[in-house]
Amino acid sequence: MKHKKGFSALMRSYGRLTIFMIPIGIATNFIGGQIAILLKLPMYLDSIGTILVGALCGGLPGALVGTISNLINSITSPTLAPYATLSILFGFLAGWLSKHGVFKSLWKTLLASIPFALIGSILGGLITIWVFGGLGGSGGALIVGALVAAGMDLNAAVFTAAIPMDFLDKIPTVLVVFLILKRIPTRLFVKLPLGYVYLNKAKTTSTTSAVNPVDDEDDELALG
Amino acid sequence: MGSSTVHELDQDFINSFRSPATAGNRIRDLNPISFAIIMLSCSVTAIALPGPAGPAAICLLFAVLSVAAGLAKTFLPLYGKLFAVVGLILFVLRAAFLPGNHILWTVGPISISAEGIIQGLNFSLVVMAVCGAVTFFFAVTPMKNLMLALEQRGVTPRATYIILASFQAITDLGKNTKVVMDAQKSRGIETEGGMVRRTTAFLPILAPVFLAAMSQTEERALALDARAFNSRNRHSHLVSLRPVSSAEIIVVCAVALGAVLSIVGAVFIWN
Repeated sequence: MKHKKGFSALMRSYGRLTIFMIPIGIATNFIGGQIAILLKLPMYLDSIGTILVGALCGGLPGALVGTISNLINSITSPTLAPYATLSILFGFLAGWLSKHGVFKSLWKTLLASIPFALIGSILGGLITIWVFGGLGGSGGALIVGALVAAGMDLNAAVFTAAIPMDFLDKIPTVLVVFLILKRIPTRLFVKLPLGYVYLNKAKTTSTTSAVNPVDDEDDELALG
Repeated sequence: MGSSTVHELDQDFINSFRSPATAGNRIRDLNPISFAIIMLSCSVTAIALPGPAGPAAICLLFAVLSVAAGLAKTFLPLYGKLFAVVGLILFVLRAAFLPGNHILWTVGPISISAEGIIQGLNFSLVVMAVCGAVTFFFAVTPMKNLMLALEQRGVTPRATYIILASFQAITDLGKNTKVVMDAQKSRGIETEGGMVRRTTAFLPILAPVFLAAMSQTEERALALDARAFNSRNRHSHLVSLRPVSSAEIIVVCAVALGAVLSIVGAVFIWN
């Protein structure tokens, strides 16, 4: 019961719409990946929802989006489960960057692709090495195999294959996040925990309306 | 006459909710939590058992169980695909690149060793057994039953709502994506051609779907409020799960004991 209260209180402290934004973020991760496949793009584009919710609602909701998306993916391909760590970090990083106004300017957003891509490639590579001994179960592993066959060290090959792949993926990802954030109407920003950043308001003025926990539980999802 | 048949139908429909939900199969009617413990024990056993034979037996067990559960048609093709793609890549790469003393044959820079083949077989079968446990669990257990069981164990309805709403949102937004894609195509946005052109088509498809979903969140908040989702009282449910029988508890304990014994064996006997 203690846990129950903890989760409810935590969700409430993130404002009233966060609980509805998390499922949308998860679905956005999925359809982002699907559109990328439909358009035959050589990138995943499956962390847009994680970064968007992280940027709008904060690090923890973003991390939740990443974790749940990854776990849902793991239902049909369980070898992806260890990479949930990456999604958690993407969510927290997006929340932190958003708080500092990074997603408000185009060039800062583009620079933000560097930490995302480095986490994706270096930590992703480390997970591949720790869990799968360097030879994972995805298509990327074939590239690693080819590099090893060409005489490269296995661990070096893992990173050589991952780093360009991740930059190719994360630059369009943050760009799409930036452009979507630009189009969100003001009336929705007002109700989101980190919306004040994008409305150029000080945090103190909006915490009272959006972030402050509401004591009356019956009223916490009311629109205000 | 007409109204009385409608009335009878209504009664049948109402009565179907008076007894616990059943799928008409012993495996599928297991409590989701019990079944999760069984599947976890199976994967632990597969990791602990020696050689390629142990995990292979567990993989086979899942296939047999899926037939017994009447889910062979959905589970076996999925599992077969996992074997053919993930299992094969895991095995082939290990067989080809892991170093060993007993080289069987050499093709260019690739030398296939007996050790590589054994290690590849062991590793890929263990991964496949764990994958089988996860996929079989979700093939057998409907997500709403799992969430109901978790709620009965004290998980907050907010957490279970997020999970169930996520699955619903994936279907809903997926449908919207097709509509938006067709609409944007008809407005002249190119979805074929060079890479740059295809990449620029991405945003006009994703952005409307995301923004539309986002503006519906307020309606959802009202809908849940209207159903007293935030009430402090215990939530009522339309569907109820079968009570856990003592036979079920015995089965769960037996499988868990098997997992413990296999760990003991792995520590003291065969390693």
